[in-house]
Amino acid sequence: MRRVRGMKAAALLLAGSVALAGCASDSDDAGSGASGSAESGDLKIGLAYDTGGRGDKSFNDSAYAGVEAAIADVGGTVQEASPNADASDRADLLTQLADQGYNPVIAVGFAYSDVIGEVAEQYPDVTFAQVDGSVDDAGNPDNMTGLLFAANQGSFLGGVAAALKSETGQVGFVGGVETPLIQSFQAGYEAGAKAVKPDIVVTSQYISPAGDFSGFNDPARGQIVAQGIYDGGADIVYAAAGGSGIGVFQAAVASGKRAIGVDSDQYESVDDPALQPVIMTSVLKRVDLAVQAFITDFADGSVEGGTDVVNDLSTDGVGLATSGGFIEDIQSQIDDYKQQIIDGEITVPE
Amino acid sequence: MSTSTHAAPTATRRGPFAELFLGGGRARRVTWLLVGVIVLVSAVRVISGEQALTSSSTFAAALLLTVPLALAGLGGLFAERAGVINIGLDGMMILGTWGAGYGGYQWGWGGALAVGILMGALGGLLHAVATVGFGVDHTISGVAINILAAGVVRFLSESLYTDNPAGGGPTQSPALSSRPPTVSLPVLSSGPDLLGDLEAKRWFLLSDVAGLLRGLTNDVGVLTIVAVLLIPLTFLLLWRTAFGLRLRSCGENPAAADSLGVPVYRLKYLAVIVSGALAGMGGVFLVFIANIYREGQTNGRGYIGLAALIFGNWRPGGLAAGAGLFGFSDALQLRSRTAVVALLLLVAVLLAGVAAYQAYRGRVLQAGLAGAFAVASLVAYVLIDELPPGIVSFTPHLTTLLVLSLASQRLRPPKADGLVYRRGEH
Repeated sequence: MRRVRGMKAAALLLAGSVALAGCASDSDDAGSGASGSAESGDLKIGLAYDTGGRGDKSFNDSAYAGVEAAIADVGGTVQEASPNADASDRADLLTQLADQGYNPVIAVGFAYSDVIGEVAEQYPDVTFAQVDGSVDDAGNPDNMTGLLFAANQGSFLGGVAAALKSETGQVGFVGGVETPLIQSFQAGYEAGAKAVKPDIVVTSQYISPAGDFSGFNDPARGQIVAQGIYDGGADIVYAAAGGSGIGVFQAAVASGKRAIGVDSDQYESVDDPALQPVIMTSVLKRVDLAVQAFITDFADGSVEGGTDVVNDLSTDGVGLATSGGFIEDIQSQIDDYKQQIIDGEITVPE
Repeated sequence: MSTSTHAAPTATRRGPFAELFLGGGRARRVTWLLVGVIVLVSAVRVISGEQALTSSSTFAAALLLTVPLALAGLGGLFAERAGVINIGLDGMMILGTWGAGYGGYQWGWGGALAVGILMGALGGLLHAVATVGFGVDHTISGVAINILAAGVVRFLSESLYTDNPAGGGPTQSPALSSRPPTVSLPVLSSGPDLLGDLEAKRWFLLSDVAGLLRGLTNDVGVLTIVAVLLIPLTFLLLWRTAFGLRLRSCGENPAAADSLGVPVYRLKYLAVIVSGALAGMGGVFLVFIANIYREGQTNGRGYIGLAALIFGNWRPGGLAAGAGLFGFSDALQLRSRTAVVALLLLVAVLLAGVAAYQAYRGRVLQAGLAGAFAVASLVAYVLIDELPPGIVSFTPHLTTLLVLSLASQRLRPPKADGLVYRRGEH
């Protein structure tokens, strides 16, 4: 029996150490990332990613590209941090970065809204920024800047393109998770489609309800939802569903229809040549430009703090991707609508 | 032990009508139950006008959602029948998805299947070494494997896919270089598509059966067929062969099995490795849908597969039913929010049946309760046009809970399930 207990303890220790090793590799990575970067300048930028981390071919990568571009301009180093699988350690990431003297600290993703306010109050000398999160949601700390995107405006153009290209007079929308953020994508898309064809039918559906974030990373269910919309008669579906979007593209291939990507230029980032022909365009969110501008401002000392910076069509912070050349023929009409939004002739619902 | 000679199991006397439904043993009763469910669902479809309820596309989607759960559940079945609780199914599934991505982009779908199964089996081996070899608590080892798997795949992706010319990144693999073939039943569900025509007629019962058959036979992937075949094969292997008896005896009374010369340790190792391989296969199936590996693709399906196993009373048919029920209601809510409301009508009819049965048996309280809930569901069906999305997406969980509580089955896990077995100490 004693031997058994010894074995048990040994196995437990083994399992525990393995689990710990798993944690350790992350911080090791982050450390090497910091030392590997350029060492010029005094700027020490902390970058906390959203679920998925760098390599998501979407807004995390885009944020990193923005930081890199800024470092090329003003110099400095970057320390990256990725949340764990269930993203329960977001607050810890920010605290660690601030503790280690990184300033500014940039959090990527609206999910940081719950924690960033508190951390910002603990570190009044550090400047924080949050991509996709407003200062208001974080509890109005005055050392934080919200980098917001008028996603509804970009989606409006997506709706315009869908309506112009639709042959069945029916288009669709697949949202990942029914959060206010994605709902503004939906509102803009529907308004854009209706602006072109007032009698167009827009079928909108979400993969998972608010609170259940699996909808952003479940291609199988994304495919089923999209297939249902295509079966219902829609011929273009806008996938505002993060990683589930690839399921929407698969459904488009299976039914010989088309889809619209989101956030990054998914025609380029999808990694699957079979899917490229169905990705008509993507509604871009230029996280890179926003992050770069924020860091440059910070280096200049012109960051106010406590305010939101909204990136919209007028600053080219949102827009449509043209890769693949599928929307070349309607580009002038899209530009018309874009100008009308910038001029305030069209107000896009949130 | 009774010594009386007149205790032969004479069935309670029934009329010829009751005999038709209740006689003939389990198989006939299950068949009637299935027929009853199809007739009922078909009637609900006609009354509510919700075509999505039995359309072939709903069934096809249900199959897509069921297969990974069923494969994970089957994996659990092997392990638990041999007496090892496998909480690590989800982790082994994660390993399977990663393996499928890695094998798939280099060697096509065959490579994806092979590497995915191998990775899952490796996860199973680790669990077996910990639980059978070292006697670690099964739950602790399983949880550790879940945590470990998530970390390992991130590490592997980071080291193999970063700056890989084929594409991919820390959270996703390059696309699979070939797709698994799909087959359709000729004449019936492709070509002339007779079933499709029949389904479009919207006739009572006939169209519903056609929808069901077409959904299960049109454009079905190879792995789906394998998975469906694995259910009866597992049953035959575990309940109709000497090997199966020995394996199950390890889960019921390993000491007795050992004393009779059954290689308990070896069988347990084998069972847990097979368990991991099957869970890995479930992961491969998920990758085949997206044609790419993505981190977090399993979304906890391993746990639901485990729940399906328990739902099905640790039997292949039962776990397939559990996974199917979950998959169907999930598919239904994903495809049509309004069709979910029609389920309320179904619930009302079912509960009314339960009420009548309980009243017949003279249980007033149960009959009254079931009747009250039946009326409540009926009222809800009449009054509600569309349920709020939060409730709709919860449909699969609610349905499963409801069926579990209605069926009030006597669940019986393998007797030595989860116990650490040490030779000579029992």
